[in-house]
Order: sequence, then structure tokens, then C-alpha cells
Amino acid sequence: MMIFTVFLKELKDTLRDRRTVMMMIVIPTLIFPLVMNVFMKVSSSFEKDAAEKKLNIGLVSSEIGALDNELHHLPKELGAKHFIPFTDTTALKAAIKSDSIQIGFFIPAKSDQNKTAMKPINVTVFHDGTDLGMKDRADIYLNYIQTKWKQERYKTLQIDESKITPLIMVYSNVASDKEMIGKLIGGFLPYIFIAFGFMGCMFPAIDLFTGEKERGTIETLLTTPVPRWQLLFGKMGVVVLSGLLAATFSLLGLFVSVEFMSSEASPEFMKIVSDILSPSFIFMLYLLLFPLIVFFAGIMIPIAVRAKSFKEAQSIISPLNIVIVLPAMVGFFPGIELNEITALIPVVNIVLATKELIAGTLEWNLVIMAFGVMVFLASTAVFLSYRKFESEGNVIS
Amino acid sequence: MINVSNLSKSFSLTRQQKKELGTTENTVLAVDDISFSCAPGRVHALLGPNGAGKTTTLRMLSTIFKPTKGSIIIDGIDAVANAQEARKHMGFLTGSAGLYARLTPNELVDYFAKLYGVSNEDRDKRKQRLFDLLDMHDFKNKRIGKLSTGMKQKVSICRTMIHDPQVVIFDEPTSGLDVITAENIIQLIRDCKNEGKTVIFSSHIMGEVDLLCDDITIIHKGKVLFNDTMEAFRSQMEAPNLTAEFIRIVNQQKAVV
Repeated sequence: MMIFTVFLKELKDTLRDRRTVMMMIVIPTLIFPLVMNVFMKVSSSFEKDAAEKKLNIGLVSSEIGALDNELHHLPKELGAKHFIPFTDTTALKAAIKSDSIQIGFFIPAKSDQNKTAMKPINVTVFHDGTDLGMKDRADIYLNYIQTKWKQERYKTLQIDESKITPLIMVYSNVASDKEMIGKLIGGFLPYIFIAFGFMGCMFPAIDLFTGEKERGTIETLLTTPVPRWQLLFGKMGVVVLSGLLAATFSLLGLFVSVEFMSSEASPEFMKIVSDILSPSFIFMLYLLLFPLIVFFAGIMIPIAVRAKSFKEAQSIISPLNIVIVLPAMVGFFPGIELNEITALIPVVNIVLATKELIAGTLEWNLVIMAFGVMVFLASTAVFLSYRKFESEGNVIS
Repeated sequence: MINVSNLSKSFSLTRQQKKELGTTENTVLAVDDISFSCAPGRVHALLGPNGAGKTTTLRMLSTIFKPTKGSIIIDGIDAVANAQEARKHMGFLTGSAGLYARLTPNELVDYFAKLYGVSNEDRDKRKQRLFDLLDMHDFKNKRIGKLSTGMKQKVSICRTMIHDPQVVIFDEPTSGLDVITAENIIQLIRDCKNEGKTVIFSSHIMGEVDLLCDDITIIHKGKVLFNDTMEAFRSQMEAPNLTAEFIRIVNQQKAVV
């Protein structure tokens, strides 16, 4: 059996190709630490800026009353602000549009009278919907005053607050933190595995099949007494390994990023993450994803075998990336779960099964069904590769 | 020894190819019922103009292509029915064949020795002999991609001969090579002949054919136009030299068609 000899030679050859090493090891390893580092820095700088930003708030009121007074004396913890009086709402709206003020309040006449009569005051809040967070800031200010004045009214009316509160809702989440993380963000892990697995397979598949044809090395290889299926399996082994390595290095990069983040994330979150990344979980993850990577290799190889040039192969396989990897995004939607139907859909089934695995809510019958579907598809793809590689017209240009 | 009998090869045409060839036929016959034989210790020239079917014939002999019809016997082995076994007895060198640029000559020769099932002991002996003969020691551990065309051709020779094949097929081995590199190939063919190997040699350069070959087969449009010894070819020549005679035979066939 020459499969291993071919595999070792192709692996050596592949690892000496800078482009493949970049796509297989360097980019997957560095992308998450880099992206997350930049993301953390940018988001923390935005948060800091937002917290420190002094808001200019416009006020239109016909009299300086209690509400004006309350707004002017909001606690400092609610953020820095500066009030600017306006005579009418037209000027107020124009100022918001030009961003000279961020929020505007219109307090109608007789507001003090309404307050004394214990009637509601209709406050209009002006804001620019595209300036995110401004409406929330206005709500915070007004809710603070609302709560304070409510308490005062209960006291004046001598009402026990509990008597006018017929229901007190107590929410108890029966899902564990692990399940929450698994169901809500668990789709991310298989997605990156699939995306990088596909990318990792792509260049070796093209290089080891179309590349051999282009360079004219395939002809001499086919005159050796090694059966074609052994040549195919040796080469395919390298394509699959490259996909798995790219996916592994991306996970490694993600793990390093999480470790890097650990000083900023809560210890509870970090404990859940380290619980998830147990050896048994990693074993199961690879077991689920292995047939998927074989499937990727199996659909790329016939294309690479048939293509006449590297460019042609790349132009067919690259768009396939979208078709294959897009279904993996289904894992991002919290409502979609593994069932008898989704277990039959390739790629989607593995993503959902991995999500269940992370959440610890695996239903074995469904997982076996999903695994079976992928093994069947991977075998079909391998058979297709074999047929194409056996065909002399495809192999020799 | 090579025995080729009634060998034919047809290829299916794609819609695009039919359009390009201006035909409605679904297949094209590249080699049409050809027969010839090559004896050990002799060099057999396979000649023909471009598109004559030479490369297809050589690819069938080297078992890359399966014939549509006919038989090929290599060293007593049926190369159609038992291609894998026949390959062990053959070496195939083409001018257009590439090498793995990211491997060193040493690694490449080792790899092919393994694929041919050569024992480590035999491999080391033959490698040493070939590296000495071709003066390859200085660059045996350099990446092939960094070698000159002449050095690469030496590596190709080494790869072809590492399993000591009894039958060696050369498909335009000197095309595009400089004089010194081409001379290495010519010397290799002479060595093969002297060692009693069966050699098939395809070339466009009639000077090389005149210099090396004992037997000659001319094919055109997939059919054999001439098949005999070089002496017989020379004795029946109507043109003043080999090139002119080759052109005359091909043109005569064109006129018949």
C-alpha cells in the first residue's frame, strides 16, 4: 500500500508551499486574536467615550417648573449633561439634526399645575434615531424622575405600593449557563470550524490535483505501478488534514483570544468556557466535523481534477464557499434546533448538532442521524472523486 | 521487448470540441489500428507530424491511456490487462513533464524509488551511480524549483531510471532543451541501448533519429505509413536526406487522402 508514501510526500510538499501554510496555519491562528484584540480595544474606547461624553440637551418649556428643576438636578451618575434652553420645537429639531444637541425635551404649559393636581404631564422627547443610545439616555432620565415622583404621590395619598401591585413577576431560568451559552452563541464555534475547514481544504485540493496537471507531474506519477485509488487517497488525506489543521488552528486562535480576554470577562463565564472545552467535547466535535471536512474534500477534488488550470479551479471552488458556508450561519439563529428534518440537511445538521453538544442537550438519535447523513454524503463525494480521478480524459489535459 | 498489435484509440468529443473541429461525430479516432514491435538492445523511433497520434500511442504504451482496441505486450506482460505490473518494467521520460519544485532531487528520486517498490539498498546503489554519472552531487539537496533547466532534466533522467526499467519510453525528450542538456539525453539513450534495454524514442529532430535509431515507425493521422529498420528506410529513400524523405512520405499520404 502506497497511500502513506503518497500522503507523506504530498504533506511535505504542501507544508513547503507558503500560500497553503498561510491559509492553513498563519491566518486561522492569528485572525481571532487580532480581530478580538482590535474589537475589544475599539469597543472599550467607544464605551469610555460614550460614558464621558457630555450630552447637550435642549429644553423647550413655557415656565421654569418642577420638571425643569428635576432635569437640571439629575444625579451625576446618570452621565454628564448640559441643558440649553430653546424657544420652540422647530429650532430644537434643527439643532438635533445638526448634532449641536443630542436630545430635546418639550415640557407643555401648566405642567406644575398638573403635577400638583396629580395628573400626568405629557413630555415630548426629540431624538435622532440614527444616533444610537440617545433615546435610552432620555428614558433613563425620565424614568428616574417618574420613580421619584411616584413615591412622593404614594406617600401623599397614603397608599401602600404593594397594594396596587397585583402581580410581582419572579423569573427563574431553568437553563444552565452552559445551555444558555451553547444555544445562544454555540453556533459560532462550528461556523468558524466549517469556514476555516473549507478554506484549509481549498488550496491543497487545487494544488495537488489541478497543480499537478498544470505542472505536468501527474503524467509521470501515473506511470508508476501505484493504483490510482491509492494515489487519490494519499492526496485526499493531505487535503482533509489541511482542512482539519486550518479549523484546529482557528479554534486555537479563538482559545488564545478567550484566554487573552479572560481578565475582562467574568470568572463565571470563563469557567463555563473552560468546562465546554473539555477533552470529551473536543473529541465529539472532531467526530462530528470529520465527515464534513471529508465531504468538502470530496466535492473539491472532482472540480480540481477536471479543471484545466489553477485559475479555473479557483473560480469554481471559491463561490462554492458561499453555498457551503452560508448554511453554517443557521447556527447563529437561536430558534432553530436539531430535529428530524434539520438532521437531514448537510452542514446545517452538523452545526446544530455541535450547538446541542456545547449546550449539553444532545439527543443521540438525532446526532446519529446527522452523522449518518454526513458519512453517506462524504462517501458519495469520495466515490465521485475516485470516478473523476480514474477518468483518463480528466487527469491528462 | 514491446509488441503492439492493432492498437486503436478514440476519444469522446465534447460539444465545444465538436464545434472547434467542425464535426458532428461524437468521437475522434486518434490512433487507428497500428502495429509494430521493438526489440531489446535497439532504439525504435516513432515519428510523425504534430497531431499524428505519437503522444497518444506513447501514453497507451506507458498505460496512462487505455486502448479502445488492440494489445500491448511489454516484456511478456499484457499492458492492457495488467497495467500495474507492466509499469514496473517501464520508464517514461517526456520533454513536457514537470518535477515537484518544492522537493530536492534526493527526495524526488527517493519518492519514485518507493513508488516503484525499489529496496533501500538498491535505491542507494542506483542513486549513487546515477548521481555520479550525471554529476548531480552539487545540487542533490537543493529545491528543484531553484535548479536550471539542464539540472532539472538530469533529475528527470534519474527519476526515470531509478527502478532500472527494461523498457524506456522517451517522448520528445530533448524538445526545448539546450545542446548540452540534449546531449545528456542522447547519451542516456545510447547507454540504455548498450545495456540491452528496449527504447522507444519520439522526436521531431531527424538528426537525432539518424544518430540513435535502429528501427523506425512513421505514423500520420493515427495510421502507420512506414515501419521497418533504419537501413530499409535509408535504402528506399527517394529524397536526398531523412527530413526530406519524412516530409515526402507524409505528403504522399496527404495526397492519397
